[in-house]
This record gives sequence, structure tokens and C-alpha cells, in this order.
Amino acid sequence: MGSYLVKRIISLIPILFGISILVFTILHLVPGDPASIMLGTEATPEAVAVLRAEMGLDKPLVSQYLHWVGGLLQGDFGVSVHTGQEILPEILKRFMITLQLTLMAVLIGWTLAIPFGILSAIRSHSKTDKVIRILTLLGISVPNFAVGTLLLLGLSLYFNWFPPIDVTSFWDDPAEAFKVFILPAVTMGIAVAAGVMRMTRSAFLETMDKDFIRTARAKGNSMWTVVMGHGLRNSSIPIVTIAGMQIGYLLGGSVIVEQLFSIPGLGQYVLDGIYQRDYPVVQGGVLFVALVFVLVNLIIDLIYTWIDPRIKY
Amino acid sequence: MKKRVLASVFLSLSLMLSACSGGGSAPAGDSKEQSGEASKTEGKSELIVAVDQDPVGYDPHKVPAASSSRIYSLVYDSLTKLDANLDLVPGLAETWETAPDGKSITFHLRKGVKFHKGQELTAEDVKYTFERILNPDTGSIAKSYFASVDSIEAPDPATVVFKLKTPDAAFLTNASAPSASIVSKGSTDLTKEANGTGPFILKKSEPGQYVLLKKNPDYFSKELPKVDAIKFQIMKDEAERMAAIRAGKIDISAVSADSAKLLEGKPGIQVKSYQSLEYSYLGINVKKKPFDDPRVRQAISYAVDRNQIVQTVWKGEASLTGPIAPALTSWALDPSSYPSYSTNVEKAKQLLAEAGYPNGFDTVIETASTYPDMVESAQVIQQQLKAIGINAKINQLEWGNYIDTWKSKDMNIMVGRNTSGVDSDRSMRYFFSTTGSANVWNYSNPTYDELVQKALEAVDVKERKKLYDEAQKLLVEDAPNLFLASPKNFYAVRDNVDFSPTAAGESTALVKTSVKK
Repeated sequence: MGSYLVKRIISLIPILFGISILVFTILHLVPGDPASIMLGTEATPEAVAVLRAEMGLDKPLVSQYLHWVGGLLQGDFGVSVHTGQEILPEILKRFMITLQLTLMAVLIGWTLAIPFGILSAIRSHSKTDKVIRILTLLGISVPNFAVGTLLLLGLSLYFNWFPPIDVTSFWDDPAEAFKVFILPAVTMGIAVAAGVMRMTRSAFLETMDKDFIRTARAKGNSMWTVVMGHGLRNSSIPIVTIAGMQIGYLLGGSVIVEQLFSIPGLGQYVLDGIYQRDYPVVQGGVLFVALVFVLVNLIIDLIYTWIDPRIKY
Repeated sequence: MKKRVLASVFLSLSLMLSACSGGGSAPAGDSKEQSGEASKTEGKSELIVAVDQDPVGYDPHKVPAASSSRIYSLVYDSLTKLDANLDLVPGLAETWETAPDGKSITFHLRKGVKFHKGQELTAEDVKYTFERILNPDTGSIAKSYFASVDSIEAPDPATVVFKLKTPDAAFLTNASAPSASIVSKGSTDLTKEANGTGPFILKKSEPGQYVLLKKNPDYFSKELPKVDAIKFQIMKDEAERMAAIRAGKIDISAVSADSAKLLEGKPGIQVKSYQSLEYSYLGINVKKKPFDDPRVRQAISYAVDRNQIVQTVWKGEASLTGPIAPALTSWALDPSSYPSYSTNVEKAKQLLAEAGYPNGFDTVIETASTYPDMVESAQVIQQQLKAIGINAKINQLEWGNYIDTWKSKDMNIMVGRNTSGVDSDRSMRYFFSTTGSANVWNYSNPTYDELVQKALEAVDVKERKKLYDEAQKLLVEDAPNLFLASPKNFYAVRDNVDFSPTAAGESTALVKTSVKK
């Protein structure tokens, strides 16, 4: 187990290195120049040249890359070429916001998904199952910008309610933070719920067909004990897998939802960086998200061994 | 059993609803808190303005982006200012006079003006500011505005004299630009600190969330500003801004023409509009075949129905325009004085045939996907050009890519939007003279260059106007650009807020804005 962990963490190095090259190359291949974008159609060629030099963009690409990676190795993500702001503190601050949003969305999603998924599986092909499956399909197919816009406009039009415009953290003011995050979290939670619900249903259907379930029932256990004691645990692996992927994905920043509700999260930060060709911001942001994604997956792998002790690394 | 299942479905649904309505009951609590706060801080008023973009730095000499200039133009002052009618009024300079030969301009500064940090404004600060702008290492976009400056003198603390190489009729207007903001002597890094003389003090900037400005209690105009604070709330999505203004969470928001229609007549909201200084254009690369033939360009001009663009793209909320936008009322020519503005497909076909393209040709219109109005204008033009046999493909570019193409001077034709500028010199010389920085169309006409240069040096306003009239007609005739439409801009404003936007800019209006209790 210990050596497995060490191996996994060491394997992070080539992954991150590869990502750093990839994101740097792709970003610099994209047409558009941060200095010209910043100055817009107002730009005079000399003003652009001065700004490019200030941004360090007049140096060869290889030396720009080495400079960036050199900084990274010392924990320095560099500064935004537009605002001159330190990138790492900004990423961390925004990550905490995205984290709160993600956790709330996942909480809403799972609370809906798991009970209904189980219900749908043990009553498969009944009317209940059909209703749940139609709702799930709806949850997957309606894009989150539509759900979000409807929630926002509906509540403000008919209830004259609009979420607080300043973002607060749960540790500063839980009640206010709840109001800030509830709409985006519900928006994202619906999609999460739909995905997890489908996975729960199919995993459960498979498990409930197994011999040990029949044996458990034959012993005279109640349906509740069988489902909770035998069914849930044995169906957990695929559910946890998809949940892990969703968390990783949401932590990368749900760009559209953050944009819609003006949540200054990580996704919005990177998106703005892309529009303005703020290279260090995008590079740092993508690298950070990749790291988080890989770590979440590592944690999921570790959870497997706890769910199913037969899995050993 | 079935009943129990149904019940549980309803239960969870009602739980979800109660989560929402739990928030829904909040406004009562909210407004109580707010009114409680308001009574505590008697008479304090804060204006919340929704903006769609994060500012990208606050150095007025370096960052021309609108997201930044809307903020620093409230923190700094310029020597002169423009009023709502775009007429010159005193700024930091109380009076000024131009020498009879036009080669020197003397400004007399207002007395007792203080920077936010406490030191008094002197002529040395003005001198330092303009030297900073003119220094090539600063890379200021305002440098080109003041190319005529030879030397700057500060004979006494209240007087600044600009010696000019040639007379410069645009100098006074250019001096009113936010990018010519007066900074204190010795300021170097203006991204980190903002020490201006303006009506507001930059208090806090929270990236991605808001920028907070507090009233400058020592502002030279005692009645202004009328509010104690302005908070620029960053809201990137138009739907969110609309919902927020309807719920009364924000006071002012710029909105699109479409949203303005939706908000019109809604309780608590007033929609305000003004004729903007912007215009949309079809830019033509005059070096590229077949556009190097002026007859081809004229043919396009006759084929394009500008009124249809006004109606389809702008829903009628725009005006026809020449090279100088109609908001500059005393300089813009009446569009009826341009013969090629009347749509005439037969004449267009005939011109194309004369140029050797009786059956038309294929081409590409490039435009920015970021702005729906540009794409729609391109689509209307695409349809209209079909009538004379020109088959245009539309190429939608992402903004960064669009700027690159615009700069390349190698495009075919392009749909874009310009700001005409508050002085005709900018509308004319900057965009279309042979050496103009924004002349990416390779347009070069010695007669035109001479006209706009003479106009710049014309001390007499009447003579200047005559020269620009001639230059505008010549430009429309030559058609390196087709000037399409100058849109109105819209704001949604809460009922209790007295905000009157004009072409002179958002900040000019914000300083005078008051909130009724």
C-alpha cells in the first residue's frame, strides 16, 4: 500500500511535465497576442512592442517555457501578464470557491441520486422506475445554462428573489454562503444527480441478480437489510468511480455555471485567461486543475480498497 | 406501496422547492437588514453598477480597455473635459488660450486641487504626466494624440505651456481623454497604486467580483460627486444582469438593445439610451484584388442597403453614419449627402462590369464571433452582395484571432466596429490617412492626407469644418470602408436613480448621478 502510494505520486511527475509542455505549446499555437488584445484596435505598433517586451513575450519560446517551468519548480506560478497579479494565491482563492460549489452540488446530486437510483433498480420496469428514468433523461439532456437561466429568471421574476451578489464562504457566513451557492449548486446538482442515478440503477440491477442476494433473501432477511447491507456495498465501485470523475470534472471549474452566476471560481479565471491570452494564468490554471484531477482519482482508487477489501495494490 | 413511492417523490420535490423558497423568503430579511444599515449610516448612498468585464489594470496611460478606463476616469482628472454635448469645458485647467499662430497652448490650472494622497496639484505634475505619455518606453497609446508637442514648460506652479511643432486643433479635445489623465510627479508603477485628483478614490479591487470606489471628500467641485460610493459589480452574463436589476440588487447596467426592449416598462426600471460614438463598418483591403479597383468598392457600396442593416441588426435603434459618427453633431455630414448610400443594384452591376467582373466573384468576409451584431451585419451584407453576383463566405473569428487578422493588413473584407472618437481628427486621420495607426486597409490618397492634415492645423473652426466635409465626401467616394450604422447604447436604471448617459461617457454621467431615498 505504502509503496503503491509512492509509485502513484512519482508517476505524477511525468504526467504534470507532459501537461506543462502540452498546454504551453497549444496556447502559443493559438493565434492572438496578449499585448494586441489588451490594447485592442487602439494599438499603435510601438505600444504593442513595448507591452510585449514588458510581458516577456519578445523572448524565444523555449526560453519562455524554461523560465516558466523554472519558476514552477520553486513553487512560483508567475504573474498575470495583464494585471501583474500573483497567480498562485489567486488560483487557491478561487479554488476554494469552486470547491465549496462543487461539494454543495455533489451533496445535492447524491442525496437525490442514490435513493432514487436504488428505488428505480429494485422496482425496475415499474411505473416508478419509468418516471424516475424519464426525469433522469431530462436531467442529462437539458443543458445547465438553460437550467441556470430558468432558475435565475424564474425566481427573480416571480419571487423577486435574487442571490446575494457578493460571494461569501461557508466559514465566514454559512447562511449567506448558502444563499450564494444554492442556485448554481442546484443547477450543477441536477446534472450530477442524473449521471449518478443512472449508474446506481444499472449497478444495482446487476448486483441484485447475484446469487448472494438470493441467499440473503432466502435466509429471511428483510428487503431493507439486503439492499443496504449487501446490495449497496457491492454496487458501490461503479458509483464511486463516476462520482469521482464528476468531482474531478466539477473542480476543474464549471465554466458555464460560474459565468452565469458570476461565481469567481477557477473555471472563470482560466476562461478569462484564454480570452485575453494571459498565458501564465491559463498554464498555471490548467496545470493546477490537472493536479487536482489526478489526486481525486488517486483518492478514489484508495477508496476502492476500503469498499472492497479484495482489491489490493 | 405505490402511494408511498409517490409520496416520497413529492417529498423530495417539495424539499427542493423549499430549498429555493427558503431563499425566496430571504428578501424580507434582506431588505430589513439593508434598511437597518441605511438608517445607521444616515444619508450614505452607494451606487451599484453592473459591468461585464474585469478591469485589466489601472494605468491610464497604458491600458485603453473600456473595462479599465471606466474606473480610472473616475479616479483621475484630465486638463479639459467634455460635457454631455461633447463641448469642451474646464477640467483641471480652469482656462486656456491658444497663441494666434496656433503653435503654443497655455493652460491655467485650478488652484487648491489635491491628489488623494494629500499633495497639491502643480504644473510640474502636468509636465511629468505628458512627458510620461510621450516617452516611448511607456508605450502609451495616447502618445499618438500628442505627436505635435515639441516641449512642455511650467513657468509657475499654476501655468503649463505646450509648445507645438505644428498647430493642432485636436489638442484640447485629446487632452480631455481618460488616457491623458494627470498623475502625480514621480509616479511610476500605476498598476499598483492610483493617486489621482478625481471625484472618487479607488478603495478596493476584488478580481472577478467587484471594484469599490469611495467619494473623494476634497474634490474640487464641492457639489460633486453626489453619491458616497460606487461599486462596480462584475457580472459577465446578460441574463444575470437583467435578473439582478429587476430584483433591485443593482442600480445601473448597460444592456443590449434586445434586453432593453424586454425591460422597457417593467416596474422599478427605466431604460435610457443615447446615440453612441460607435459605428459598424465593412472594411475593404484596397490592395487586394479585386478590391484595388475603386469601381468594385463603389459597386459594393451601391449594393449594400444600410437601412436594412439598421432595421435587421439594430432593430431600428441606430442611425446611418459617415466616417464621423452622428453623435458628433457639429462635424458629421448628413448621410443624404453621400450618393452611394442610395441602394442601386443596377448601377452596382454596371460598375462591376466596367471593372471587369460582369459575373461577380467569390470572396471572404471576416468578422468577430464575439459580437453578434457584427456577425448579423456580415450576414445581411452577404445576402445583399449575392444580388450583384458576389459570393461571400463568412469567416467568424474569435476575438484574439480577429485582432490578429485586423492587424495583418492582408484580409479581404471585414465587418467590425470603431469608436469614432470625440474629435474628427481621430475619426479621419487616425483611421484613414496613409500613416494612420489604425489604417489597416492600405488606403493611401495624397489628396485625403493633405485635407486631414490641413484640418488638423486649421485654427479657424469654420475652415476646419469645411475641410472635413470635403474629406468625408472623398472618403465615402473612395470607399476603403463602408460606414454602416451607428447604434444607440442602452442602460437599464432603477427608478430611484438619476442617471443620464450620453456619448460623453459613462463616468461623466456617474459623477452627476444621485440616488433618491
